[in-house]
Amino acid sequence: MNTCNSDTKIVVKDITKQFPGENPEQGLALYDVNFTVQTNEFVTIVGRSGCGKSTMLNIAAGLLSPTKGEVLINGRAVNGPGSDRGMVFQYSGLFPWLTAIENIEFGPRNVGMPKAERRASAQELIELVRLKGFENKYPRELSGGMQQRVAIARAMALDPEILLMDEPFGSLDQLTREDMQRELLRVWEIRKKTVLFVTHSIIEAIYLSDRILVFNPNPGFVKKEFVIELPRPRQKSYPDFMRYYEEIYEAIC
Amino acid sequence: MKRSVRHSKNGKIFGLSEYIIKIITIIILIILWEFFSRVGYLSPLRFPRPSKLAITLWELMTVGYPIGITVWLHIKATVCRILQGYLLAAAFAIPMGLIIGRSYLLEQAANPVITFARSVATISLLPLAIAWFGVDELSRILLIAYGCYWVILTNTIQGVKQVDINFINAGRMLGASRRQLFFRVILPATLPRIFAGMKIALGVGFMVIIAVEMIGTIQGLGALIQQARFYYSSDIAIDGMIFIGILGLLISIVLDRLEQIMLPWAVGLEEVER
Amino acid sequence: MSNSSFGRRLWVSWAGFITLLLIWQIISVMKLINPVVFPSPTGVIKAALTDVPLNRLLQHIGISLLRVVLGFTIGATLGIIIGIVSGWYYRLGRVLWAPIDLIRPIPPLAWIPLAIIWLGLGEPSKVLIIFLGAFFPIVTNTYKGMVNIEPNIIRAAQSLGLQGRRLLLRVAIPASLPDIATGMRVGWSYSFGCMVAAELIAARSGLGYLIMHARQTGQIAVIVYGVILIGVINLLTDFVMQESIIKRKLKWQFLSTS
Repeated sequence: MNTCNSDTKIVVKDITKQFPGENPEQGLALYDVNFTVQTNEFVTIVGRSGCGKSTMLNIAAGLLSPTKGEVLINGRAVNGPGSDRGMVFQYSGLFPWLTAIENIEFGPRNVGMPKAERRASAQELIELVRLKGFENKYPRELSGGMQQRVAIARAMALDPEILLMDEPFGSLDQLTREDMQRELLRVWEIRKKTVLFVTHSIIEAIYLSDRILVFNPNPGFVKKEFVIELPRPRQKSYPDFMRYYEEIYEAIC
Repeated sequence: MKRSVRHSKNGKIFGLSEYIIKIITIIILIILWEFFSRVGYLSPLRFPRPSKLAITLWELMTVGYPIGITVWLHIKATVCRILQGYLLAAAFAIPMGLIIGRSYLLEQAANPVITFARSVATISLLPLAIAWFGVDELSRILLIAYGCYWVILTNTIQGVKQVDINFINAGRMLGASRRQLFFRVILPATLPRIFAGMKIALGVGFMVIIAVEMIGTIQGLGALIQQARFYYSSDIAIDGMIFIGILGLLISIVLDRLEQIMLPWAVGLEEVER
Repeated sequence: MSNSSFGRRLWVSWAGFITLLLIWQIISVMKLINPVVFPSPTGVIKAALTDVPLNRLLQHIGISLLRVVLGFTIGATLGIIIGIVSGWYYRLGRVLWAPIDLIRPIPPLAWIPLAIIWLGLGEPSKVLIIFLGAFFPIVTNTYKGMVNIEPNIIRAAQSLGLQGRRLLLRVAIPASLPDIATGMRVGWSYSFGCMVAAELIAARSGLGYLIMHARQTGQIAVIVYGVILIGVINLLTDFVMQESIIKRKLKWQFLSTS
């Protein structure tokens, strides 16, 4: 399923990642990973803990460099973080010394956007994630779900084409998690982006994604691929939903 | 603070808050002290009565000891010395700590030196300082600076090393250059730990100055109680100690308030290097 | 960690130290500072070998260590007992802590003049200071350890039928051992510092006295020797304390599943 055409946003080619260490076998996080992501497609990587999903995401982000292989974005190889990619982490990673809106303004400030413009754009994003009224709160004054919403807004502040999300809802309770999944899809519909999402929850993956890549652990590589052909919004009660669930569950084990 | 299940739920004993209990206990102890003193069980030389202590307290504040040097002048001398040594240490330790913390190599090279320098008892350097700089303010200030420097340095280094990798990653993903990353992410993230080090360092400086003032000077709280010793004036010694204790408390209260003002966003306790 | 990177790290660690020593030697050889007051490393070694006869040195070291061990032991014993009792019996604890909290802000060294008035210039006054240096950190940490035990551990033990003194001895105290150990480590280093200060200010024997005396006789090299010696002994004793007592008895704290 590696269709490379003008619609291909991300190409992951022969990625291998070896971490240095005493035991070479233990350090082999990824081996010969290959897949593509089309523009504005929502692709999720699922797998057990330790299968290298986060490592893969970090390499795509440019935060880690691969031992072998490359990641191409719009045809050009990634060799460091860039403003074409935004990232959301599991534990928000919001700067505690900045308020919500200052966190969102962080990126634009770095690239020199003038103050008024920054503020307006950040305000827009606050309203997009439905946090109006909380602009001047510090992260510690916000609930987990709200923090992740700010994190998403922050990641979108430089208007990246790609959103990378590393188990962003993993630290939330189940109900908040489901709220956030709906929120994410809503925001994604409004501001179309290519999304590469990582989670260990199969249900979350099926709910959100166009395509799911099952990663094999130790070393990590794409074991199986699933195309989710269900209309959104998806319900767990659809029989097809659970059918996908069982297939993916089997693929993981 | 987690409370064991055996503790009372609302902090009250016999229906009174902790604070009241404390005050009552202290008052009872003072009354007992006064009583046993008057009755003769406690030697007046060694355990002056609280009433005498109060009188001496007043004299210290007005007439002074030695005559002319009121306790306020003593306090001023002590505080000035601490402040100068402390600020001197901080001015060097914080930048050094930031630089060393960023570089794995530098940290490895610096560690043995730092470990050894910290194990040297600051006070033991006093004779050396006197030999080099004489018995004067400079020696004392340098000594305090020495004691404070290593504490602030180690805490700053640890603070930089332990900046959450998520912050750095987020900063990089949001387009921060190396310089921006340092000033806008690493520095603010390190501030709570630097502050913690500063608090401990002030405590250390405080302890050092009291001892240092016992040698070669007649002004300062340490000098005050040392003088008292020579004349067996236990009342002045105890009063002096009370002033020292209060000063120490005030210093830590001031620092806590300062931290609340400057770092309102910093919550949570961290492991600190003593 | 491969052998080469470990060796490299070791080399880097010592590079800093050796560089400083070299700089020191160069400054004194070039006589940038008056050699009378600024001895070279070799001068210090020479003074160490000739100016201070070994048996007298050992005497001083012995006395100093004796004082510290004595003061620390008393301080630790009292501190741990009071810490445990005040942490376990809450009401008694609050009453006990009232005077402790009052006295705590006073640095142990500030007690020196009063200690001398009370106990004279002999050993007891110095041991008192050292005792105070050890007592406060140990009692504070022990109390903290007792009060901060995971409530679930206590509940679990209670549901297994333990109560009263057995609960205290078999569950509560072991659970607070890490904090007690921390307190002891801090208490030891404070004790050591107090010993040096007390000996500098008011003693006629011991390492602190040695240094003070050397200044009065103008033997700067001996001062430097003494300072370094104190630092080394401090490091050694801290290392011994950490390795033998703490690591052995608290193995369970350091084991982890990676």
